Amino acid sequence: MLESLLEFLIQGLVLGGLYALFAVGLSLIFGVLDVINVAHGEFFAIGGYLAFAAVVLLHLPGAVGVLGAAVGTFLLGLCVYPLLIAPLKRRLGGRPQGPLYLVLTLGLSTFLQSSLLAIAGGDYLRVPPQVSGILDLGVTAVSHQRLLVLAAAAVLLTALFAFLRFHPEGLAVRAVALNSDAAQAMGINLPRIFALTLALGVALAGVGGALMAPLFNVYPAVGFPLTIKAFAITILGGMGNPAGALVASFLVSIAESLSVMVIPSQWQNLIAFAVMIVMLLVRPRGLFGRAVSR
Amino acid sequence: MTTRARVTLAAVGGAALLPVLLPHPFVLTIATQAVIWALLAASWDLLSGYTGQISFGHAGFFALGAYAAAAATKHADVSPWLGLLVGATIAAAVGLLTGFPALRLRGHYLALVTLGLAEIIRLVAQNWLALTGGPFGIHDFRSFPGLPDGALAHRQAMYLVVVAVVVGSVAVMYQVCERTSAGQAFRAIREDEVLAQTLGIDTTRYKLLAFALSSGFAGLAGGLYAYYVQLVSPVVASAATTSLVIGMVVFGGLGTLWGPVLGALLLYGLYEGLRFVGVVYNLVAVGFVIMVFVIFFPRGLAGLGRSA
Repeated sequence: MLESLLEFLIQGLVLGGLYALFAVGLSLIFGVLDVINVAHGEFFAIGGYLAFAAVVLLHLPGAVGVLGAAVGTFLLGLCVYPLLIAPLKRRLGGRPQGPLYLVLTLGLSTFLQSSLLAIAGGDYLRVPPQVSGILDLGVTAVSHQRLLVLAAAAVLLTALFAFLRFHPEGLAVRAVALNSDAAQAMGINLPRIFALTLALGVALAGVGGALMAPLFNVYPAVGFPLTIKAFAITILGGMGNPAGALVASFLVSIAESLSVMVIPSQWQNLIAFAVMIVMLLVRPRGLFGRAVSR
Repeated sequence: MTTRARVTLAAVGGAALLPVLLPHPFVLTIATQAVIWALLAASWDLLSGYTGQISFGHAGFFALGAYAAAAATKHADVSPWLGLLVGATIAAAVGLLTGFPALRLRGHYLALVTLGLAEIIRLVAQNWLALTGGPFGIHDFRSFPGLPDGALAHRQAMYLVVVAVVVGSVAVMYQVCERTSAGQAFRAIREDEVLAQTLGIDTTRYKLLAFALSSGFAGLAGGLYAYYVQLVSPVVASAATTSLVIGMVVFGGLGTLWGPVLGALLLYGLYEGLRFVGVVYNLVAVGFVIMVFVIFFPRGLAGLGRSA
C-alpha cells in the first residue's frame, strides 16, 4: 500500500513537471496579453517534431533536438503577435473583443495541427530518449528520461521566474500584466513585450514537447488534450498567475496519479475538469488568483 | 418583404431543390450533412453570437442529442421522431443546468467551463460501455420509418426530412431573435449586461433561455446526425467539432443566424470538396479561413455587403 502510494506520488511529480512547463506559459500569456492561447498544444507538438527532425532525420545529439525545439518554437511564437493578434487588435480598436481572440487562436490551432498532418503525416513517430537508463529507488524505478523532464521543468521555470523578478525585460513583462496603459506611459514598448511573452510561453511548451516525445511518441494532435487540461490547471491556479499555475500543476498531477488507487484509470482524466468546474463555481479567481473584475 | 428575406427564401428554395436537380448519392450525402451542420452553427450563434455567452462546448450538446436519440431507439425502441425530441430535450436540460453556474461567469471563463463540460461528455461517452458502446459508439439502430426503400429515393427523402426540420428550427430561432422581446434582451445582454439589468431586463431569465434554446437545437442537430449517419461515436464530442462549428459561424457572420447557416453550407462544402485535393488540406484550409475572417472580416460573409 505504502509502496504503491510512493510509486504513484513519484509518477505524479514527473507528470506535474510536464504540466507546469505547459501551464505556466499559458497562464503567463493570458496574464500579459489577455489572450487564451488555444494553440498552445500545437507548439508542444511542433517541439516534438523538431526533436524528431534533429535526432532521427539529421542524426544530431538529443540535446541539440531539445535546443532546436526551444529555438524553433520561440521564433514561431515571435511571429504570432505581429501576424495575428496585432492586426485583430488594430481592427477592433477599443471595441470589446468578445470571443474573437479565442476563435483566432482556435483557428491557429486547427491550422497548425492540420499543417503538421499535411507535412509529417499522421503516423506515431518514435523519438529516442535524450538520456537512457533507469534510477532504482527500491520501491519503484524511474527512467532517467522522466527525471530529465522534472529537472528541466525545475531549471527552466526557476529561470523564468528569476527573469520575471530581476531582469529589466522581465519587470516590463510584469508591469504590462499589471496595467498595460500605465506601462506604455512609462515608455515600455508594448508590442515587443507582447511578442516576447508569447514566444517565451510557447517555447516552454516546445521544450516540453521535445522532452516528452520519447515518452508519448509524436503525432499532430498530441498537444491538444494537454491544452484542454492546462486550461483546467490555469483556472485552478488563478488565470494570469504563473506561480499559481505552477502549484496547481502539481496538485492536479498528484491527484490524478493517486486517483488510480480509488477509481478506474480511464476516468483519471475527468479529475482535472471536475476540479475546474467546481473551482469556477466556488472560487472563480482560482486558489491564488487576483480578484476577478470582469 | 425585405431584400434579406427574399435572399433567405431563395436560398432555402434552392437548397430544397437540390436533391431534385442533382440526384447523386454523393452530393446528397454532403448536402444532408451540411444542412445538419447549419442547424448546429445557428444554435451556437443564438447563444454566442446574439447573447454573447461564448460556448466552447457545443460538440458536447450535439453529442448528447445524438447519443440520447440513438440510445433511445436502440435500447428502448423509441420511434426516431420521438427520439429527436428526446435528444433535444436532454441536451436542453443539460444546457439549462450549465446555464445556472454560467450565470456567474463571463467571457473566457464561460468558454473554458463549457469546453470542460464537452470533454467530460466525451469521456463519459468513451467509457460508459453499457450505454454508449464505448469507443465504437452506437450503431445498428433504425432510422425514420415510412421513407421509401430505394437507395437513392431513401437518401432524397432523408434529405427532405433533414431540410424540413432544420428550416423549421432556424425559422423558430430567427423569430425568437429578431421578432420578440427575448431577442432584444439577448442583444442587450451581449452589448452591456449591467446596462441591460438597469433597464429592467431580467438577464438571468434570458441567459437561461438562450442556453436552453441553443443547447436544445444543438441536441436536435445531434439527433438528425445520429439517424442520418447511423453511427454515433465519441469523436462527435471532440473539440474539433466545436472548432468547425465556430469556424462556420465566424465565416458566415456572428449574430445574424442566416450568416452562420450560409457559412456552414459553404465551409462544409469546402471541407468535403477539398478532400479531392488531399485528405489533410481541408482542415488546413478551415483553420486558415477562420484566422483570415476573424482578422479581416470579423462580421463574416453577412457583413461583406455593409461597411466594416
